[in-house]
Amino acid sequence: MFVYTREAHPGENVAHHASIEDKLACARMLRNETGIGREILVDELAGTVHRAYGLMPNMTWVIARGGTVAYKADWTSAANVEAFLERFMGARGEHRPGTAPVMYATQQVEFRYPDRKRFMQRLARNGPRAVAEFEKAQQLWAQRATT
Amino acid sequence: MGETGGGSPAPYNYPRFDDYVASGEDRADEAAFWASPRAGQRAPDLTLTRLGDGGGVRLSDLWRSRPVVLEFGSFT
Repeated sequence: MFVYTREAHPGENVAHHASIEDKLACARMLRNETGIGREILVDELAGTVHRAYGLMPNMTWVIARGGTVAYKADWTSAANVEAFLERFMGARGEHRPGTAPVMYATQQVEFRYPDRKRFMQRLARNGPRAVAEFEKAQQLWAQRATT
Repeated sequence: MGETGGGSPAPYNYPRFDDYVASGEDRADEAAFWASPRAGQRAPDLTLTRLGDGGGVRLSDLWRSRPVVLEFGSFT
């Protein structure tokens, strides 16, 4: 499932949402342009679901049957999610005589390699303002790093 | 635009990304991720709108019989 949230980098072409109609229209535009085949679920204008799940722009969560959080990542790596699902489903489905699986939790960091060219293309799609504001934000992050 | 990490909080649907960062909301949102339910805890059961037909979808109806993968995102 793809959960459409808020525009992380609003611009002249794809602006911030001022109404739920705006938000639904942007979600349709995203579906039509990117060809997302999965079902798209749209959050409320105020971001109720996004807030409850942690407000990061490109998260993935896996919820196990019954409603327990099985996996949460503050950035989406399809390969990482697939590998997790294979392990998780495999362990749950495995039968070992005389024992049963017991759940335990982990917390870890991973590395990713941003596709800068593709990201800049997406920013440009949203509009020149989205590009300029991202460049300003980079300066702000650099200032933070030195203070 | 406010000082880095200062200023008033940006609204959820912020109109400018640089103002969002200047207000420090990006750091607040990272903190919100870490404060959200951990692995092994109950997931928030809320309702979303299906883009296809406009109908409401309760998350617990999705995870009742199988695991659910939720990818959050927008154009960027």
